[in-house]
Amino acid sequence: MELVKVNNLRKVFPKHKVTAVDGVSFSVNEGEVVGLVGESGCGKSTLGRSIIRLIHAEEGNVFYKGEDLLKLPRRKMRSMRRHLQMIFQDPYTSLDPRVRIGDILEEVFIIHENFSRGERRRKAEEALETVGLGASYLNRLPSDISGGERQRIGIARALATDPEFIICDEPVSSLDLSVQAQILNLLTDIQKRKNLAYLFISHDLGVIGAICDRVMVMNAGRLVETGTCENIFKDPKHEYTKRLLDAVR
Amino acid sequence: MALEIRGLRVSYNIEGRGIEVVRGLDLDINKGECVGLVGESGCGKSTVGLAITRLIPERKGSITAGNILLGDKDVLTLGPDGLRDVRRSKVSYVFQDPFSSLNPVFTVYDQLKEALPDKRNADEIISGTLESVGLSGIIGNKKIYPHELSGGMQQRVMIAMAIMPNPGLLILDEPTTALDVTVQNQILDLVARLKDEMKLSVLFISHDLRTVFRISDRVFVMYAGKIVEKGLKQNISLKPGHPYTVGLMDSMPSFERRKQKFNAIEGRAPLFSELPKGCKFYPRCKFRVDDCALREPGMEIVSGEDHVSRCIRIKEIALDGISKS
Ligand SMILES: Nc1ncnc2c1ncn2[C@@H]1O[C@H](COP(=O)(O)OP(=O)(O)OP(=O)(O)O)[C@@H](O)[C@H]1O
Ligand code: SF4
Ligand SMILES: [Mg+2]
Repeated sequence: MELVKVNNLRKVFPKHKVTAVDGVSFSVNEGEVVGLVGESGCGKSTLGRSIIRLIHAEEGNVFYKGEDLLKLPRRKMRSMRRHLQMIFQDPYTSLDPRVRIGDILEEVFIIHENFSRGERRRKAEEALETVGLGASYLNRLPSDISGGERQRIGIARALATDPEFIICDEPVSSLDLSVQAQILNLLTDIQKRKNLAYLFISHDLGVIGAICDRVMVMNAGRLVETGTCENIFKDPKHEYTKRLLDAVR
Repeated sequence: MALEIRGLRVSYNIEGRGIEVVRGLDLDINKGECVGLVGESGCGKSTVGLAITRLIPERKGSITAGNILLGDKDVLTLGPDGLRDVRRSKVSYVFQDPFSSLNPVFTVYDQLKEALPDKRNADEIISGTLESVGLSGIIGNKKIYPHELSGGMQQRVMIAMAIMPNPGLLILDEPTTALDVTVQNQILDLVARLKDEMKLSVLFISHDLRTVFRISDRVFVMYAGKIVEKGLKQNISLKPGHPYTVGLMDSMPSFERRKQKFNAIEGRAPLFSELPKGCKFYPRCKFRVDDCALREPGMEIVSGEDHVSRCIRIKEIALDGISKS
């Protein structure tokens, strides 16, 4: 079943006169992992952020279960966010280094739920367990843990609200190979267990090829080719896709 | 030999204590050869690179033992003049981030000229170098600033600055990590071509196995401050000799192995202040036995003298490499 449908989305940065997202349309089904690849600066992150309204897109629609997110009043959108979450590239800047991990996670429940203090703490612990970290992390600061652990906290925070759709924006690009593999295993496990849908943004075709069902290739603000992983990797049609693939062979 | 490092030890002052992060490291580079130094973040790779011209800040740390032979000289015994000469014309560096390595307030031309030890015929040499790094488009343009160039072009400028003094040794520390894959490959190809044309000796430092395998003649794998495996690139990629190297290979995501669980190395690298006693990889190793924890293994032969590994079980365990490429 179709979960998210993006229709003719456009985002222009007038100051720099660039059309970062240039009439993009696609859909993501329930439980599906869709990859978005392209070189840096091609508009991947802008597309991801426009979908959940972290930035404002001029034109187009984003339907979530039939409802157009871009037309929702602000307050309604805020409560909608629990269903659509985002994991960011940089575990260093996406968490406030001075706020304890327990508080970072509890804040999610303050915004989205009406829990008592005790319940919030318990939920925060649960969130940590899901990503393979324990309650001992509650009192630590993001600045005192490793990059991989920080990325897990980002994932725990995104998962805490039980979303159905997660935009993963280069979630492993800044990590070492061994940590990267641990995080990819974690994301794939959770996706299967909870039947989540991912839009998985990466410039790394290896990562995309390893975990995605479908791939969309983006170049200069447009989708130039989409298809199943099998088709794109074995029989790329577009010149740009071929160039990207050659680079990792 | 272009470079020979023997028994190098480096300590940093961490929380008031001297902590050793390079723990007796041996590495050698033949003339005209590219050696890749690969390992995870924090294992000490950059420290080795910096030690070669004694660039480790004095307040932060010190080289406590070893020899670093460049030609017939030991860098560790050089006085100020000798050291200046080494830094200016014998060894050049290219670092990860071209954006912060170039000075934004000076033109590219001025910075290139600054890098030339001898300013006679500067224009001619600069033009020739720009040509050879694939930047003929900006030859003669003395007004261009770094920010007007793309990341890949900036990295080419850095390489131009590095090769202009005609150094015997070029050290590249994560030179492509900040760049896109397609641009990464262009830079790697450029380095490979310059290496051949100029008979450069190259030390290529990276955490990325793919780029290291692509460019190196020989590969040194580093873990917790020491080399744990060295050998010819093709030998290591086909028949790796250390469980850690295999762990890194298995962690490389690819379409060929899609939808399988990654064979991730469990746990994480140990802290230098709390290294295990025996094999430093012991806590994370799938093949460990009690004997491994007794003492740190020496180098064992994997296949011929040139392919060695710091693992006592290498003869008994079967390790798989990457079959493609
Ligand atoms: N100036 C410094 N003062 C104190 N400790 C340092 C300093 N520089 C590096 N270290 C420590 O020394 C160890 C080795 O660092 P080094 O930068 O050589 O690693 P690396 O292998 O290059 O890592 P990366 O891949 O992240 O660049 C690390 O534990 C690091 O925290
Ligand atoms: S010596 Fe033992 S613990 Fe160390 S890498 Fe070899 S098998 Fe593993
Ligand atoms: Mg480094």
